[in-house]
Parts: sequence; C-alpha cells; structure tokens
Amino acid sequence: MKPRATGTRRPRKTRFSVTFSEGASRALITVGGIGTIAAVALIFVFLLWVVVPLFTAPTVEAAERLSAGSLEAPRAVLIDEYQLLASTLDADGTLRTFDFASGEKIGERKPLEQRPSAVSLSPEGRDFAAGFEDGSVRIGRFGYRSYFPPEAELAPELRAIEDGVVVRYEDGVLQRVQDGALRFQGIDVELSDPLSMRKSTPIERIAHTARDDGMVLCVWTDGGLIFVETEERTNFLTGEVVLDLSETELAYEPDPSRGTPDYLLLVGRGDNVLLLWEDGRLERVDVRDPESASVVEVVDVVPADGEVVTALSFLIGKSTLVVGDSTGAVRSWFRIKPEAAGTPDGTVFVPAHRFGSTGSAVTALAPSPRSRLISVGREDGTVQIYQATTEALLVELEVGPDAIRALSMSPKEDGLCVLTAADEVMRWDMDPRHPEADLTALFAPVWYEGYEQPAHVWQSESGTDEFEPKLGFLPLIYGTLKATLYSMLFGAPLALFAALYTSEFLSRRLRTPIKSIIEMMASLPSVVLGFLAALVIAPVAQTVVPATLVSFVTLPLALLLGAYLWQLLPQRLSIRWSGWQRLCCMGLALPVGVLSALALGPWVEGLLFAGNIELWLDGQRGNGVGGWLILLLPLCALLWTLFGGRALGPWMRRRSANWSRHQCAVLDIAKFGVGIAASIGVALLVSSLLDGAGYDPRGSYVGTYVQRNALIVGFVMGFAIIPIIYTLAEDALSSVPEHLRLASLGAGATPWQTAVRVIVPTAMSGLFSAVMIGLGRAVGETMIVLMATGNTPVMDMNIFNGFRTLSANIAVELPEAVQNSTHYRALFLAALVLFAMTFTLNTLAELVRLRFRKRAVQL
Amino acid sequence: MEERTIEIRPPGVASKEVPRMMRSQAGGQEPAGIPESNATLGGLFEAIEQDRKFETVVHDSARDDNPVLEIQEFRLWYGEAQALHDVSMICPQGKVTALIGPSGCGKSTLLRCVNRMNDLIDSVRISGDMLLNGQSIYDKGVDVIELRKRIGMVFQKPNPFPMSIFENVVYSLRIDGERDRRVLQEVCEQSLRGAGLWKEVKDRLDSSALALSGGQQQRLCIARAIAAEPDVLLLDEPCSALDPIATGRIEELIEELKGTYSILIVTHNMQQASRASDFTAFMYLGRLVEFGSTEDIFLQPKLKETEDYVTGRFG
Repeated sequence: MKPRATGTRRPRKTRFSVTFSEGASRALITVGGIGTIAAVALIFVFLLWVVVPLFTAPTVEAAERLSAGSLEAPRAVLIDEYQLLASTLDADGTLRTFDFASGEKIGERKPLEQRPSAVSLSPEGRDFAAGFEDGSVRIGRFGYRSYFPPEAELAPELRAIEDGVVVRYEDGVLQRVQDGALRFQGIDVELSDPLSMRKSTPIERIAHTARDDGMVLCVWTDGGLIFVETEERTNFLTGEVVLDLSETELAYEPDPSRGTPDYLLLVGRGDNVLLLWEDGRLERVDVRDPESASVVEVVDVVPADGEVVTALSFLIGKSTLVVGDSTGAVRSWFRIKPEAAGTPDGTVFVPAHRFGSTGSAVTALAPSPRSRLISVGREDGTVQIYQATTEALLVELEVGPDAIRALSMSPKEDGLCVLTAADEVMRWDMDPRHPEADLTALFAPVWYEGYEQPAHVWQSESGTDEFEPKLGFLPLIYGTLKATLYSMLFGAPLALFAALYTSEFLSRRLRTPIKSIIEMMASLPSVVLGFLAALVIAPVAQTVVPATLVSFVTLPLALLLGAYLWQLLPQRLSIRWSGWQRLCCMGLALPVGVLSALALGPWVEGLLFAGNIELWLDGQRGNGVGGWLILLLPLCALLWTLFGGRALGPWMRRRSANWSRHQCAVLDIAKFGVGIAASIGVALLVSSLLDGAGYDPRGSYVGTYVQRNALIVGFVMGFAIIPIIYTLAEDALSSVPEHLRLASLGAGATPWQTAVRVIVPTAMSGLFSAVMIGLGRAVGETMIVLMATGNTPVMDMNIFNGFRTLSANIAVELPEAVQNSTHYRALFLAALVLFAMTFTLNTLAELVRLRFRKRAVQL
Repeated sequence: MEERTIEIRPPGVASKEVPRMMRSQAGGQEPAGIPESNATLGGLFEAIEQDRKFETVVHDSARDDNPVLEIQEFRLWYGEAQALHDVSMICPQGKVTALIGPSGCGKSTLLRCVNRMNDLIDSVRISGDMLLNGQSIYDKGVDVIELRKRIGMVFQKPNPFPMSIFENVVYSLRIDGERDRRVLQEVCEQSLRGAGLWKEVKDRLDSSALALSGGQQQRLCIARAIAAEPDVLLLDEPCSALDPIATGRIEELIEELKGTYSILIVTHNMQQASRASDFTAFMYLGRLVEFGSTEDIFLQPKLKETEDYVTGRFG
C-alpha cells in the first residue's frame, strides 16, 4: 500500500488478507445490521398494510340507470347478486324485471294473480306473505336463479357471446363468465297455493317471519289479530308438500278510536308482534305463548308532535327496527333486558341509535342483506348509508330531484339500487370496506343489539349472518394488562429479590452456577408451563384456595418470627452460626409456614368464608368481612411497619438504650406480636365497618371462582418472566462499582443496609428497565394465557376470573378468520396494538437503561 | 505452606526472650546498621525473594506501651499464595503511622485486614492476630459490623455514594438508625469542618456528591469516615488519584486529624510519608522490613535497602 498522509514510506506492508477480511467483515456486519432493522420494519409495514383498509373510506360510483316506464305504486325494488337485473314490485303484485345492459324491460308478470289486500316483505326482500280480500293468504319467496344452460342447445349467435357481454335470453340474461361458461340469470317466484283461514274477512295487514320449522304469520282482519303458525307436511304417498296452518286468535282488544294499525310486524323468530300507527304509537304484543298474548308495552317512536312514520324496516335478524319519520329522523329500536324493566315480559323497547339529524322526510329504508348497514332514501332525492351499530355515515348520494321510492342493496353488498319517483332505476357500484370496525367500534363503548347500555365487548363471529360482530378491543387490552399485572405482582418481587440475593449475599463461588440455573428456566417452553398451569396447578389450587390465601400471611410471618427468635440467641452464638446454620433455620421457617397454612386453611374457610370459599366468592353465602380482611391485612401490616419504624422506633430506642441485648430481643418479639394482633384487629374492625356500610369486596377484586383464573396465570407466567427480570436485574446490581460496596461495608453497614441504601438506589434504573423488559415479555406471552385462562373476553378485575389477552385472541381466532375479512384485519390490528405495546415498553426500558449507563460511567 | 518461626516480637508484647536485634540496639554500641544475620545473606531483598529467614528491624522509637492497634505475627494467604508473612507492628494512639513499600508488598492487604474487609474475599485465610485497644479483632465472637464502625476507612479512589453531600456524611449515623435531624446536621457540620470541606460545600449540602472535584470527594470520604468517630482511621493511598494541590490539602488535613484519631496510612509518596507521618513501616513482598519513627526511617535507617527505597535509589 502506498503511504498515506505520513509523508514517509512505511517499511512493512499490510497484507492483502488483512485488508480483505477487514472489508468483508465490515460488509457482512453492515448487511446483517441493516437486515435486522429492515426485518422489524417490514413486520411493522406488513401489519400496517393489512390494517389500513379497515380505516379507508367506503367508495361508491354511479354505474347504470334505466327507465322503468310508468309504475303503479311500486313497493320495492330488487337487484340480483351479479347486478345484471333489477325488479320492481308494485302494490298490485306486478313484478317487472329490467336488464341493466339494455335498459329494457325483459319480463312482467303477476305471480299472485289477484291484487293482494296486504303484503309483508322481508327486510332483504326475499320472502314474503300476502293476504287477500277473501281472507286467504299466500306465502312465497322471490329468487334470482342462476344456471348454466348446455351450450349445444343454444342458438349459434348466443354461443358466440364474448366475455362480459350480456344478452337477453328468454326471461333473463346470458353472460359469459370468467371460466368460459355461459351463465343464465333470471327471476323466479316460489309461491304457495292460497291458504284459507278460518275467517274469510278481508285481510287488512299481514306480517311474517321465518322460523326453523316454517313461516309464522300474523294478520289483522276483522278488527282483530290472528297469529298463524305454518308447518310444511310432506304427503309421503304422493310426495306433495302441504302447508298446515294453526291459527290462534290473540286476546288483543283494539282501541276502536285508533282503527287499523298502519304497520304490522313480527319481531325476530316471531315472539313479539308490533302494531304501529302512523303517528308513532307502537304497541308490543308478547306472543311467545299465543294463547295468553297481551300488550306488554306501548311506546312512541315518533316523539315530534304531528309528525308521522314514513318508512320502516328491520335490520337483518329482524331484532332491530329502524324507523324513519317525516322530520327526517331515523332511529333504530331494539329490546333490552334491564334489571328493573317494569314490563310483564321483562324487556323494554328502546331507541338505541339515531342516524344523522333531521332533514327531508324519509321515504325508503333498506337494510343490507349481509351486514348491519342501512340505506336511507329521502324525499329530496338523497340517499345515505349508515352503519347501524356505530351510527357512522358511510355514503351520501345526491340521486336527483325526485323523491326516492324504494331502494335495496345487492346481496354481496357491492351495489345499491334506487327507484325514484320518476320511475327511474339507478345502480351504484359500491364498496363499503369495513364499516363495522372503525375507531369508535374498536375502542369506544358501543350499544350492541340486546345490550342494556353501550359496552366494550369482543365477540367477533358466530354461526349466522344475522350476528352483530362486536369488535371492542378494550376487553382484550384489559385482559393483557390484567395478565401482566398479576404475573408481575408475583414474578417481579421474586426475581428482584433473587437478583439482590445472588449479587449481594451469595458467595462468589456459587453466584455463577446459580445464575446460569435460573437463566436456564427461560429455556423452558411456555407451552409446557401453560400445560402445567392448566392441567396440574389449576385443579390443585382449586382444592386449596383457603390454604393458598392463608399462606400469603403465614409464610412471611413464619420467616419474620424465625428472625426475631434468632435474635434471642446469645450474641456469640448468633455470630458464630451466621453461616449454614442460619440458612438451615431459615429453611425450616418455610415448611413451618406452609404447614401452618394447610392446617389453618379449613379453619379460616369456616370462620371467614362461611365454610365454602367458592360459594362465598360466588356471593351465595356469608358476608364481606372475610374478603375485606384478606385484602386489608397486608395494608394494615404495612401501616404498622411504618408506624413502628417512624413513631415507635425512636421512642423504644431511647427507652431501651441501656438494656441488654437479650432484653432488646424480647422487646422486639413483643412488638412483633403486638403488631400482628394490632394489624388483625384493625383489619377486622375496618372490614366489619365496610361490610356494615354495605360494601362487599365480592364482585370487584374477588368474585366467582373460575378454575383457570388470573391467579394461576399470574403464578405460572410469573415463573416465565422471572429469568429475564432476574438476569437483567442481577447484571444491573453487579455492575454497581465495587468501591461503593466497599465504602458502605467499610463504614460498618450490614450487607442488607448496603444493598438497600447504596446498591439498589444506584442500580435503580437498571432494575426499572429489567422490570419493563419483563413487562414486555408478559404482555406478549401467548401460550400460557391461551392454555390457562379460559379465554373469556371479560373486563373484570376479579383475580379468580379468567380473561383473554390480545395475543391469545390472535392465536385462537386467526386460523378461523376469512382472509381479508373485517375480522381478519381486526386481528391484525390486535397484533399491531400488541406490537406497539411491547415496542413502547422495550423502548422505554432501553431509554432508562441508557441513562443508567451514562450515570454508571460517572461513578 | 511451611510455617517458619520468627524470632522477634514487636515492642510492647511481653516476652521473656528479647530479640537479638533489640539487644544490639539496646546496647547502643553500634550506629544504625544491618543486623549480622541479615547482612551475611548478601542483600536483604534477595533473601526475601528466596524466602529465607530474616528479621524485622524495629527501632526503639517505635515502642509504645499502649498502642491503639497491635498487629501480632499476622499472616495471610490468598488461596495458596501467601501475601503477608509474620507482620508484627503497632499503631500508637493519636499518631500517624505510614506503610510504605513497592507495589504488591502487601501494604493495602494489611490495611484491609485491620477492619476485616478481607473477609469479603472467599479464598482468604489468616493466622496471627490483631488487637484493637487490647481486644482481638479476629476472635470468633467479634461482630464485624460493630468493628467496622470503630475503624473508619478511606479508599484509594474517592468513592462518595451517589447521593447528596449531606447524606454521604451522615451515612454512618443513618445505618445506626439515627433520624433526629438536629443530630444529623450537627454531625454533618462537625465532620465536614473536620475534613476541611465545610466552607466549600456548606451552601450545597443537598447537591450530589458526584459533582465535587476529586480532591473534594476524597475529603468528603474522610468526613464520612470521621462522622462515625472511629478509633482508627485507615487511609489507603488517599492521594494517589489527586493532583498536588489536592494532595497538599489532604496532608494538611491528616496533620489536623492527628491527635484526635489514630491514623494508619498507605502511601507511595515518600515525601508524603516523611511529611505527614509519625511512624513509618517499610514493607517488601509481604514482609515488614523496618519499622520506626519516621525520623529514624528517613534519616537513620538501619538497613541499606530501606535507605535506598526512601531516597529513591531502589532497585
């Protein structure tokens, strides 16, 4: 190499291999380092990539329009799955079908043959019931029918259709679809024969709903209500399907002044009948037992005076009724079951949600056939689409000057079809994205159908389409924090004290092997710990709950008592025996504590918990004193310690200045005994007072005992985080400069005083960062919480109840989530939240550790 | 390790047998010189290196009937390696005793043994004894914590605790459980005045001790040590990390503390030993070579090796 910047030539050359390996290793390290950072960043970007569509705005685009000619009082407009056809249904039962491609009418028929006197259409417009003047009813369903006709039977010009082109064929259309086949699309009507009722008076109103075993109808005829259950019966000789009707005349006394209700509805599976008059009076009739049906509740769904109901519709599932009125207000109502309902059936019909403000009168309402969207058409020709759970306005359209007569959303929720007063049919392409998972739904309390009040709930999916997904993240975050809290409560003190012991008290020879052994605990797979927790510890703990609780008291007491008794030894002996003899005595205190806990357990259970702690926890027996006592005892002991140290200590020191060592030791034991008695006494007193004042700890921090609970998880997960906290804390403590330790010991401080007064304060930030890293580990821990918590997403501080954490939730639900569905993306959001939590914790820990290192350099 | 007999006893220890060396001195016939038994070996250092028998030279001046600290035939092993061989000496009450000698000669080890800091090292083994005010330090029934409260120690590197100046000074009271604010303040002021630091820090007692300069920190450590009112103050090269001015302050301080406290100081600085101490002990490879009043050691050493060392002609 040439000499550089030195001016003289160096006699020795650096070998090429040296420069090469230098360069190569530099490159390798750079690639590795950047690669690691990039990998972490990529995970973040990927999570974000999946999550972001949750929050993108829905899109809607005008697609096609056609003129339907002139319609006579159209009741509904329907659209098929592929959005090729639109159908209108007139009040007289005329069904017209139009083809969007040509804009022409391709069919018109009257399947009902005669004009119905009352029609009931299901919210998504698929099944219906019609009543006639002669008192008969017919039930049926509209259906768009798709099939693939054999190409050989088709005319040659039809066989030559190209991709995407739509051609009329018979009463429908043909389209060549992606895999090359020709698909026929047309409308079909299934219809029962006219079913005669017992009465042959004209049917004025009809309502219907589907049950698993057949349709349920309710008709208003001759000024009374008749409840009709239908049953399909197959004649097994002829194969003919016969519908059997069982009619029940409801004991409903109509108010003659009010006349015929304007709307008649059946709720859900047909357990309630709703009678609604235009002015907003709604009477709810409980028909769970039709024989003894009665009006259970009357509400006014249009609070404004003089205004009338102009449109109404059920949401999917027929539990939520959406009412639009002439002021333009749209409200959704459903039944809830509050504790003090005041109605005979225990439920109350409440206006839970309100969509938008007042404005132009509502003329049409149409729910989505697959989710909880509701589209609202108005007098002024505007259309809005709302999410019924979150009340969010997704889409607002200015259709035109004419009022909206009817609208419907396509079965796949990818299109909207509108029929205006000018008899124009219009279609929009739309993509609602993921409206049920906006920020409000995820993080704010939401009023779900059937819930008493807005709540945070996680219940992501169910078997049916009618299910309302509940994507509240808070129960999961709460569960995560609960798991973390309880495991830290157990693990952190243990790990920190173990670290303090190894770094300050253990002989140097033993330090390294012991540290390695504890670190080896970290290599125990968490699934093994989870297995142990769920199948070994949880069942055992359930049988020894009182003893476990009592051991929290007896174990420390046994150790402390041992220490005080030790002081009674003559000084010569206590100093001479400060080695293994003292350790043995300490070892003795542990089994003494455990055994006394086992012995006292049943006694305490009988005394404080009315003989059975599980029933007591469940609130079935006993009073709150025992629970308060257990909760307050540590607090009282702490207060006594403070009082003893601050107030009693100096006084006792002054009095006992000239006493002998033995006398002082006896005094100490006496003080200890008095302290125990005082703590228990005060705790008992306060407990009785609290219980007397009506406060019961059950239901908050303690409550119903579930076998797999936070206590078990705290214990086992504490075990999992001990190694990491221990290692980092031990490092922090050991890195306190030796000269500080020597200075303190040299000044005559005991090792304990040295540790508490000098070492721990100096290493504080290191200990803090150890705890934070432990927190990070606990937050992300999956397997243990998955196996040992029961995975119930409840928000409940009760230590004896289970919970569901973010991580366990992802593990449980992700395999079942449909890719790119709202649920799937919400789970990725859970992952992102988890990532953010651990990232924040670890960054915080790292920042503190850096500060600590800077300070350590100063020492 | 083979135990060798030594023939001398330190002054102040009742013994029927009067060591030869003492006899020659007692005669006062010859000027300060090398005892015969050592002279014949052809160089004392060589003799020590070859682990041969030799005798400590103790000057008459280094006798005291009532020493605060008395070291008796003290030996110490780190594992298998012997670090101290039969060291016997005294620290007179209210005087400054300096330990000098080349690095690794066991001065600091000896010093740490006085307040049993070497207990903290697992592999240490000792024989012999040390008496504090006539009572054994190494007796099995001795409470080490109590002992250390009576023997203050200041280390080579200033090591204030990462707390306020005030808390540093009153540390020894805190660990005794003293909470009376007045007592603490009084002791703090007294000790800081004693350490000559009061004027400099009286306005910032609550600021961190780590913000002080090296010399101030070392004086703070001395203040911390004297706050416990110890019987003996052990100074382990207290000035080696300090500049000459700070060193000067510390030496003045030692001069002031003398009389109130008995001080045992380890130093590498010959001038410091000659200026600040009343007695000087010269050690070499774990052995006490010569012990006497500072005047004697520096002006009339009996061994040529001592003379070479104190005049800088060593080696």
